[in-house]
Amino acid sequence: MSKLSTRWIIYAGLAAVVILAYITSIQLDTRPSPQVQKAYNYFENLPESTIIMISFDHEASSLPEIQPITLAILRHAFRRNLRIIGLSLFAEGTAIGYRFMTRVAEEFGKEYGRDYVFLGFKPQHISAILGMGESIIRVFPEDYLGYPADSLPLMRQVYNYNEIEMVISIADGDRGIQWIEYAGAGYNQSIMCGLTAAMVTSYDPYIASGQLYCTVGGLAGAAEYENLFGKKGAGNRGLLAQSMAHIYVIILILIGNVVYFKSRRRRNSGP
Amino acid sequence: MDIGIIIAGLLTLAIYTFLYRDNPIYRAAEHWLIGLTIGYAMVVFWQTTLVDLLILPLFAGGKYILVVPLILGLLMFSRFSGRFSWLSRLPIAFMIGTGAGVAIPAMLYARTLKQLSSSVAPLIAEDGGFNIEVVVVAVGLLTTLAYFYFSREHKGAMGKMAKVGTYFLMIFFGATFGYTVMSRMSTFIGRIDFLLTDFLRLLG
Repeated sequence: MSKLSTRWIIYAGLAAVVILAYITSIQLDTRPSPQVQKAYNYFENLPESTIIMISFDHEASSLPEIQPITLAILRHAFRRNLRIIGLSLFAEGTAIGYRFMTRVAEEFGKEYGRDYVFLGFKPQHISAILGMGESIIRVFPEDYLGYPADSLPLMRQVYNYNEIEMVISIADGDRGIQWIEYAGAGYNQSIMCGLTAAMVTSYDPYIASGQLYCTVGGLAGAAEYENLFGKKGAGNRGLLAQSMAHIYVIILILIGNVVYFKSRRRRNSGP
Repeated sequence: MDIGIIIAGLLTLAIYTFLYRDNPIYRAAEHWLIGLTIGYAMVVFWQTTLVDLLILPLFAGGKYILVVPLILGLLMFSRFSGRFSWLSRLPIAFMIGTGAGVAIPAMLYARTLKQLSSSVAPLIAEDGGFNIEVVVVAVGLLTTLAYFYFSREHKGAMGKMAKVGTYFLMIFFGATFGYTVMSRMSTFIGRIDFLLTDFLRLLG
């Protein structure tokens, strides 16, 4: 079999497995991991009207994982009537973050300025994180829509991190670590992260050392959170496809090894 | 159908033509992606950095102290001149100095001191049980450090410790690689979801 046709078979097989997962109605029974359960319990036990901050620190390319995590957390926060300050320390996350916030806010009938605000993007993320420890309005004098921040009822009740119960960094890189290093260590701010799966192991040491409250990671984390919340979405849909794709990859690895050892034995026993 | 979805769907298919081989359709989509990303970033940075932090406060707000960062920023362009390129060292020195000053204490605390202190924990848990995790962390920490200790030859006890350290490293790399595969698979799944649901409307 030529290399090209082998490659085509592998790609076509993967595409077929993923499409099959989407057209079947199998429901995976996912049990929440301790990290996701901790995140869920945290929001569940917060008093109403508590102010939290969500930072959209990611690129558009990580949306398949980031979107279900973000939507699940936003829905839970709005259902619990928490008040949310959104911002972005990654240019690409700005418009995406605003779209997510307004979309979920509309679902729950939340009012801009009173229940949530979106402050937009600020370059030089370390300066921004440190600056907000002194005064959030000084770092963001205007919101994303151009309104003076001090004209928004929610922002009039917030001065710095002292009024923010938790910062949630939705990250596909190390922005969350910078929140830990500068807001967490510098201002004793509690930090939680929503992460792509690739970043989970990089953040584990911060959980172990108590610097990071918890993480919700990858499609699996999103699916677990959706199940706890009681509204299945893209996380659950994607998780089935991901699980089937993993089984497919494992089978390919096994076949590859069998073929390799067989051909090696044939070579060794040859003339 | 929304024009944005049609464009996104066609561009997704264009990118996947690379699975066959490198071709002009793939390259056009790739160039478009790079151009859009840079263009978007430039517009955002122009507004949020130059306009909001420099031009408006300096010329409309009368904050004349901002002339200093303006001059420092302009000095960066001296690198294009062979004769005056040494001037660019001034803003670079300023950036490195302030950057290191801000970053070193924070990183030392979060990445070293806190990690060290959390690796020293009591063997007996609060409920009276034996805390096996502490032993695993201690063994992992010491043996991994032994692997990266090159001032002594990895022989005898030192060699055995370093060998155990490699197993801990392999477990870490395996877990990280596994998560990375999950992430990349998620990206593909996300595109398939988009193609089936939004672009082709085959699923509700």
